[in-house]
Amino acid sequence: MEFRPRNYVAEEQSHLLPRSRADIHPFSSYSPQSILRQVDDNEENRNNEEFFDPLRAPDSNASVETVDGHDFESSSNGNDDSFPVQTKEWTSFKRFLMQRFPVSKMISVSSMSNTIVRSGKAHEKSSSSTHLEELDDPQKFSETDTKVITQQEYVSRLHELKDEINRAWHSEDRVKSLKLSIKVARLLMDTSVSNFYPTLFVLVTDVLNMLGDMVWERIRQKAEFAEDGARLCSLRENFRASDVPIDAKETCYNWFCKVGSIRELLPRIYLELAIFPCWRFLIEQPAESLQRLVMMTRGIGDPLASAYCRLYIAHRAQKLPSHDTGYLITCLNDITLIFTRISSTKESAHGCFADSKRSLVSLMEPSIEFIMKCILSDASQRRAGKVLVELGLGRSQEELFGGSPCVSIVLHHLLKELPIDIVSFHAVDILHLIKCSNDNSYDQSLNYRLVGLRLSEQISQIGSVEAVVNKVIQVVSEYGLDDYLKIVDAYLDIVLQNQMDGHLKTILEGISKLASDKVLAEDELASLQSILVKLLSHFKDLEHVFSLNHFLQILDMMHGNSRGIVNMHILDMATRNGYVHDPTTIQLLFEISQALHSDTDLVNMKNDDNQQQARLISRFVRMVDHGVEYERHLAFLMECRGALGSIIELKEILVHSSNCLATKALKDGKKHTAFVKTCIAFSEITIPSIPGHIKQLNLYLGTAEVALLGGLVSHSDGLIDSAINCLQSSDWMEGSRTLDSDGILSSIRKLCSLLIMIPGNPEVGILHIPKSLLLIIHSQSWSPRLKARILCAIISLSATLSQERLPYHADHPEIMGNDLLFFGDSSYVCELLSLTESVIQNLVDVIEQEPSRAARGSLSLEACNCIASSFKINEHVLSVCSKLIETAKLCLNAKDKYLTSTISFLDKNLPAGAVSSSIVI
Amino acid sequence: MSTKIDLSLSRPNRIYRPSEPLEGKIVVKSASSISHYGIRMALNGSVNLQVRGGSAGVIESFYGVVKPITILSRTLEIRPSGKIVSGTTEIPFSITLRNPKEDNSERFYETFHGTNISIQYLATVDIMRGYLHKSLSATVEFIVESDKADLLNPPISPEMVIFYITQDTQRHSILPELKSGGFRITGRISTQCSMLEPLSGELIVEASVLPICSIDIHLLRVESVLLGEKIITETSLIQTTQIADGDVCRNMTLPIYVVLPRLLTCPTVLAGPFSIEFKVAIVVIFQSELSRLHPKSDPLTPRLWMAMETLPLELVRARER
Repeated sequence: MEFRPRNYVAEEQSHLLPRSRADIHPFSSYSPQSILRQVDDNEENRNNEEFFDPLRAPDSNASVETVDGHDFESSSNGNDDSFPVQTKEWTSFKRFLMQRFPVSKMISVSSMSNTIVRSGKAHEKSSSSTHLEELDDPQKFSETDTKVITQQEYVSRLHELKDEINRAWHSEDRVKSLKLSIKVARLLMDTSVSNFYPTLFVLVTDVLNMLGDMVWERIRQKAEFAEDGARLCSLRENFRASDVPIDAKETCYNWFCKVGSIRELLPRIYLELAIFPCWRFLIEQPAESLQRLVMMTRGIGDPLASAYCRLYIAHRAQKLPSHDTGYLITCLNDITLIFTRISSTKESAHGCFADSKRSLVSLMEPSIEFIMKCILSDASQRRAGKVLVELGLGRSQEELFGGSPCVSIVLHHLLKELPIDIVSFHAVDILHLIKCSNDNSYDQSLNYRLVGLRLSEQISQIGSVEAVVNKVIQVVSEYGLDDYLKIVDAYLDIVLQNQMDGHLKTILEGISKLASDKVLAEDELASLQSILVKLLSHFKDLEHVFSLNHFLQILDMMHGNSRGIVNMHILDMATRNGYVHDPTTIQLLFEISQALHSDTDLVNMKNDDNQQQARLISRFVRMVDHGVEYERHLAFLMECRGALGSIIELKEILVHSSNCLATKALKDGKKHTAFVKTCIAFSEITIPSIPGHIKQLNLYLGTAEVALLGGLVSHSDGLIDSAINCLQSSDWMEGSRTLDSDGILSSIRKLCSLLIMIPGNPEVGILHIPKSLLLIIHSQSWSPRLKARILCAIISLSATLSQERLPYHADHPEIMGNDLLFFGDSSYVCELLSLTESVIQNLVDVIEQEPSRAARGSLSLEACNCIASSFKINEHVLSVCSKLIETAKLCLNAKDKYLTSTISFLDKNLPAGAVSSSIVI
Repeated sequence: MSTKIDLSLSRPNRIYRPSEPLEGKIVVKSASSISHYGIRMALNGSVNLQVRGGSAGVIESFYGVVKPITILSRTLEIRPSGKIVSGTTEIPFSITLRNPKEDNSERFYETFHGTNISIQYLATVDIMRGYLHKSLSATVEFIVESDKADLLNPPISPEMVIFYITQDTQRHSILPELKSGGFRITGRISTQCSMLEPLSGELIVEASVLPICSIDIHLLRVESVLLGEKIITETSLIQTTQIADGDVCRNMTLPIYVVLPRLLTCPTVLAGPFSIEFKVAIVVIFQSELSRLHPKSDPLTPRLWMAMETLPLELVRARER
């Protein structure tokens, strides 16, 4: 056998693609003109070229479509499911209600039995009254004597009732449905387990909404179809009462009569609300009845029950197309009155009374929140102004906040929903109003905070920033640390964006004064964190932030998780704008990294949160740049390895950095050989502590390359030995992960290409390394695929080493390549040949072991190509190749492109006169 | 044998006025053809009176039914004798209720279902089938409302009276703390009310020394029957509507809104042999330990922890607005 001689320079020349200059960079953005031109070109060349890049076309169509879609949605306006937004909103509101007030597992359901037999206050129904008997079935009353049931039981009982109502309805027993629904509604009369009330409300209103929908459908059906199913008329979405036939009206009126005859107030209101949308069949202005229902709700003495009843009014009213909100204003005013009553009840000496008040207020809060949302959603500025006047807050459209003070919890939700323009314009008045509205229904400082947050939505629109901030600074000075931080946090963006440096100074001073000598609580830390993060993200320059008065002092006061988060922000900011040069900053950041590191050290490093920190620290280390002070940089790397050693990612960075440093030094000149050695030593020591053999392998190879670049042959030999050891010593099944064959293959190929530059060492044998590789292949249980490819790589390596002129050399004048070292040495070539022959035999055997047919086929072709391009084709080579082609033909389709091109490659390279019949079968 | 006869009226609510014809159809479903001696329709309307012992304190022997007053009694032949083929046969009919020639007939009182007095109108169809077969028949009640022509114009502003309920207006004894501490509930309520409108008004709790438990509006009927020389009157409860549940806010206006139940009410009638009148009672129940000891009490029996005000209520049939 004989290696094929190669002329790499000539081959490169012949394979080069023709080059021509380009005017435009392919990735540069197109100027509009060029697009235009392209379109024009397209127009002209339509026949020749159909291609037109859709991504580059100005997508006018798409934008038009979006607008249309939007219009369609906003114009659709009907009943039932045509309010998808509201339905969704209600669904999420329900979830919020159930989650906000968690319930203890057991519910003392004196409630359930109590609501069913309300012996406490009511009269028994008169036996003479037949009408009442129709609604109250005495037999159904005498159940459930249990006093305590679990919430689960309660809920499932309600679900049962819901099913029962549904069943009764569909078996035409609508009276029973109604009766059961009334019974369900009655459950809401009991507020004794107050924390369960919101959940109960959700469950009961679900049942009532279902009933309401069924009644609506039935009457609609009655209106549109005769008894025999013939269509009478068809009601438009926005039908009027006058469109409804008299019979349907009659049925509808009957429902209201039935509901109207319910004795108790609360279920009567709820049931009417359930079927409320049906008023549309009867009267043109159903919204008028809402005002009555709101007034009727005043008769519910229990504050909690009445608040939720108003919530249900607001919800059911959404089913009407009308947008009048007068009734909701009345609702709010009534709730306000109740709050005044609650807070004026005598405060007893016991703290628990205040507690129960507070919990009552928080239970009622969702109702206010929802009603406020209904009133002010999409309200214009003008309308919102009207609302303010109607709520008694404003005297007129001109003086929106001059009226009486407001209950603070109502104020809170009002401020949340008011159009931003009003808040911006009247900020000073609002702050004053908050000051006047000081009752215990809501935390005053949270209202101040809310205004700050609202104002931050539109900082440029604030009417009188100076006055607002002055006022806030004044207000805040009377608070303790926690409130101080909460309020200041909300206004910080305003202060920063308006460059109010004086105020910023005052604020930071205030914080440091209040916080000094104090162990900060969790809440305070959270606010502080938010404040510091805002500061960090506002200033571009980290040094600027560090130079702010008290900043570092405040940073030092922080601890724990919040501190960690601020530190991460600092690191992130430091590395965002490129390399870090300033030594003081580097030192500070290093300390921060250390702090972060020691915080996370204790916890498992695989935790996702900590990965972020590890990444930030690593990035910081990577971004540090000491310029030409290489020694100092290396010292820094050593310091990092000592202090931050447990971050694996970082250690890799350290190796890369030190290699990079060595390369930089080498490029600088020759004086740095000692330094380069130090760098390589640093890498060599660091690599073994990094887990993962492939990682180690690659790092060794990288370092070996640097060593070669520095002319340190013995170093690179040592490093390559270490790399080989890595391959040897591993069982390659790291943890539960499967073998990364591609990774190993590419590392080994990389090693092979490196070997071309490394002068052979006759002391250990010039083919010492490829032989070690072969040994490893035999000892490992790798897949035939991987083994075959590695063998191919070794064949290519040998073929290359045999050349009289190697394709590339080490970039160092003192290192000679093998081509010079062994020029004309026939024993060298012999040794290469004998190695290769055994490799070829191995290769053929290994391919036979590959279980997958398709893979076996393409492996054969790969091997065949490799062999054919490495050797001059003689009979021996040809027989091997033919055998491989045979294998491929058995495994692959005869028309396979790889197969046909390989065959034609072989044909082309056949020496003249050779018998080709053995190939072409 | 599976012959079914049904009487179905043209209006699903079955309400007719005396001047209007009663319309509908007789539906006969039969497997075989039936021969008959004629199909007759009988319309009957009467005031049924009965006197029970009890509250009026009448002697036991009075108990019993007083002779009913006939308003309407008419029989018409819808079809002469003949044959009804098998399958479903529909026979339409239309009968004027008030016969203009019989001017002496009783007044058409509106349908009313009370305790002692009931005013009812029935339509009965009979298919006469001779001695060998039972005659087929079906009866349906129809509801009579006054003629539009006879109606009053709607009361321009419903008559409202102002009421005060205080410790001093009570005719029964009340809890001492109520007597001394006092309470004051005021409001207005209509005393003349159209059948088509809800009974309306409003109420304000101005002050109360005890927390309020409940405020209810009771709708009462007062039925009087002339029995010989005596008038026997009985008052009974038709419907209770709660308007306040629990201790409501002071000085807040609560609406009174009571939907009048159908059939159980009718326009106030003052006839010779009988009268039907109505009352409305506003009953305030205060929270008290005592009330828990008497859970089952007649809502109208005055108790120590209750305050009440009863007002007459005239129900009228007015033109629709």
